[in-house]
Amino acid sequence: MSTTLRPRTAAELGELLRGRPGRVRLCGTGSQQDRLPDANGATTLSLAGLDRIVRLDAPDQTCSIEPGVPREVLDVALQEVGLELPCAGRGSLGGLFASDAVGPVSVGGASPRSLLLGMQAVLSDGTAFRSGARVVKSVAGFDVHKLLVGSQGRLFAATVLHLKLRPRPRAEAWFARAGLDRDGALSLFRQLRDLTVPPAALHLHRFATDFTLAGRIVGRPSFVTAIVRQHALPEAPAFDRLHLQATDGGEVLTGIVAPSRLPALLAAIAADAPFLLHGGGRFEVALPSPTATDALLAFLPKLPVQACIALGAPTRRGRGTPLDAGQERLAKGLKQALDPHGVFV
Amino acid sequence: MPPLEQALARLLGPQRVFCTRDALLAWECDGFTVHRSRPRAVVLPESTEEVQAVVKILHAAKVPFVPRGAGTCLSGGPTAAGNAVIIDLARMRKVLEISTEDLRAVVQPGVVNLNLTAAVHHLGLHYAPDPSSQSVCTIGGNFAENSGGPHCFKYGMTQDHVLGAVIVLPDGTLARLGDAAGPRAPHGLDLTALFCGSEGTFAIATEITVRLCRDQESVRTLLGAFATMTAACRTVSDIVAAGLVPAALEILDQSTIRAVEASVYRAGYPEDAAAVLLVELDGPAAVLAEETAEVREAFRRNAALSIEEASDDAERKRLWKGRKGAFGAMGRLNTDLYVLDGVVPRTRLEEALEGIAAIGTKHGVVLTNVFHAGDGNLHPNISFDGRDAEQTARTVAAGREILQLCVDLGGSISGEHGIGSEKLDHIAMMFGADDLDVMARVRAAFNPDGLCNPGKVLPQRGACAEVAKWPQMVARVLDVEERS
Repeated sequence: MSTTLRPRTAAELGELLRGRPGRVRLCGTGSQQDRLPDANGATTLSLAGLDRIVRLDAPDQTCSIEPGVPREVLDVALQEVGLELPCAGRGSLGGLFASDAVGPVSVGGASPRSLLLGMQAVLSDGTAFRSGARVVKSVAGFDVHKLLVGSQGRLFAATVLHLKLRPRPRAEAWFARAGLDRDGALSLFRQLRDLTVPPAALHLHRFATDFTLAGRIVGRPSFVTAIVRQHALPEAPAFDRLHLQATDGGEVLTGIVAPSRLPALLAAIAADAPFLLHGGGRFEVALPSPTATDALLAFLPKLPVQACIALGAPTRRGRGTPLDAGQERLAKGLKQALDPHGVFV
Repeated sequence: MPPLEQALARLLGPQRVFCTRDALLAWECDGFTVHRSRPRAVVLPESTEEVQAVVKILHAAKVPFVPRGAGTCLSGGPTAAGNAVIIDLARMRKVLEISTEDLRAVVQPGVVNLNLTAAVHHLGLHYAPDPSSQSVCTIGGNFAENSGGPHCFKYGMTQDHVLGAVIVLPDGTLARLGDAAGPRAPHGLDLTALFCGSEGTFAIATEITVRLCRDQESVRTLLGAFATMTAACRTVSDIVAAGLVPAALEILDQSTIRAVEASVYRAGYPEDAAAVLLVELDGPAAVLAEETAEVREAFRRNAALSIEEASDDAERKRLWKGRKGAFGAMGRLNTDLYVLDGVVPRTRLEEALEGIAAIGTKHGVVLTNVFHAGDGNLHPNISFDGRDAEQTARTVAAGREILQLCVDLGGSISGEHGIGSEKLDHIAMMFGADDLDVMARVRAAFNPDGLCNPGKVLPQRGACAEVAKWPQMVARVLDVEERS
């Protein structure tokens, strides 16, 4: 059984890392851990204890938080001052940004990458460093903090995140149009996506045989009402199923697809395979077996679509379509530069 | 012609390689005219393959090189340091692909920002980042600098609009960052975001995939004039506090208004006002009617001297003409202009402006302010005579103090212009040795030999002579002022 270390402050975290704890798997509330590759018995370093909202500057629409702050705690604090963090995801905020498992939920919408203004972090040797700033605009120095997004905690441990916030919309309406066939679903998806003010969230899913398009319209009350009426969008509870589950012996693949390649992607997936697409292009598909996954992974580069295994046996998670060789070389170089001894796994 | 230049001329032809002293004059600086340094040579490749071939020659010869677009950068980023060769990408100006379905375009780096919008205008699309220099600056330069512009309050910076790129690494090999679908594969790092704003010190982007935005149904542009700068700033706070997200919130101070009104950029701004606030709203027409009423109310609440609203596109262009031409108008004030680029939390704008005025008085420099108020991104401008060393030194010293003030107020030394060579000595205001060491390690993963745009962004031992002289000059002036 692996050990779990629980620092309460950035200083404690630095101290722990300077003590050379061996290979370390960073963890927040643990909600994304079953989507990471095998930790191979590495020590778990939980950042859940770093759970302070360090600063909430409502007039400036920015905040600084520690990575262990749960999403729902920040949401409550922001609601009280009429603001929101306009991206999807749950668990600890450090985990949400490090996993970036959903991406934007609307066309050109905000995502962890666009909301992260700066950070304080610790390297695997315990060295503390900063990147970016806490103001909404800064191009001073290199944006090392952007490497946090999607890094799955394998480059450094963030200890404070500086985030950009937005005003809560004056009105919102969730809708869901169910019972759509593939062509009908794609048509409605395109129609709403192409609005000059597209929905703040769009989720196309097929949990059984039919497709459903769910979404969130936000804005001034008159605008929300007009869009809902104009497109005859049935009211529905807020859509909160951001991920698929794997069936027994099955796997879940996650990828990113451009709208023009969506029909070809759907044609390549079995008609009964559960499928979920978020408006910014991230998708998940549940496949019945590793064999089915491997067959799809072998086909996707022809579209081309990038994807990897999110859920499945620990040794298979993270396997995916080949990345560009130059990009792979740079990623390895960055890992070597920031974590030369491979402490973070 | 030396052997290296001969090799480059054999590759590109003599008409695309410049190495005589006179010919190189045009490339000796960018928009930051204080720092000048003539390159060893300038080459003009037209394709990714040619950039690769040029870089391989320079890499083999261990000769540094600097990628450059239109040269409109305001921080010395594309100015050659250390006898570097400039790889001018201005002839790589093709729009390679436009996808209306995917809302994206693939462009070469030399495409002029405004030309991309012109190329997709008939499709009801535009490219959102709009630096003031958008009629001449290039997408490649915007990508390198992570450029902003008046409309980034709502639409974000260049980084928010770049999906991917093909880059030529300093050894001449290629890497593809991002994808048509997005900037990062689910199992990859966001190298696209990291690369954006690296100021040409990582590699050379030769193809850039950008996001296009749909044109909004309607646009409303209003200009409020105020008796005090405080009232203008408070109006901005009121608009933002009301939950409105205008496309742009721009303030010009009285000195700027007067310079604009005396120039060819005359826009009819009231010259007796201490400040004007330009607000642009975009969206569905019905929504804008309500939002415009709220903006007008904010103007009235802060005792606006006058409120003007553009009634058609021609009037909108007129109201923007003064703002967009403000920097050009300042050419009337003196021979040179030092455009600063600090950021403060929006709520501290008034405090910052008071401090900036005091610094200007202390150093006896002519200061004007035009800025992106919604983002707290200040552009204090110092007009000076660059031929006068003492005046130049006072200008630089004042600039340094202004940026320190921004940092002290919780802000940044650059919102959109970059560090370049201009702020090499200032970056330590924001970052300590460990922070800069991490950034140096990241840069080394792309550019291990330091051949690509040396002497920029991060201070380094053995930097070029001009850069090394820079802090000494400031220190000398500060020392003189301290003693007096």
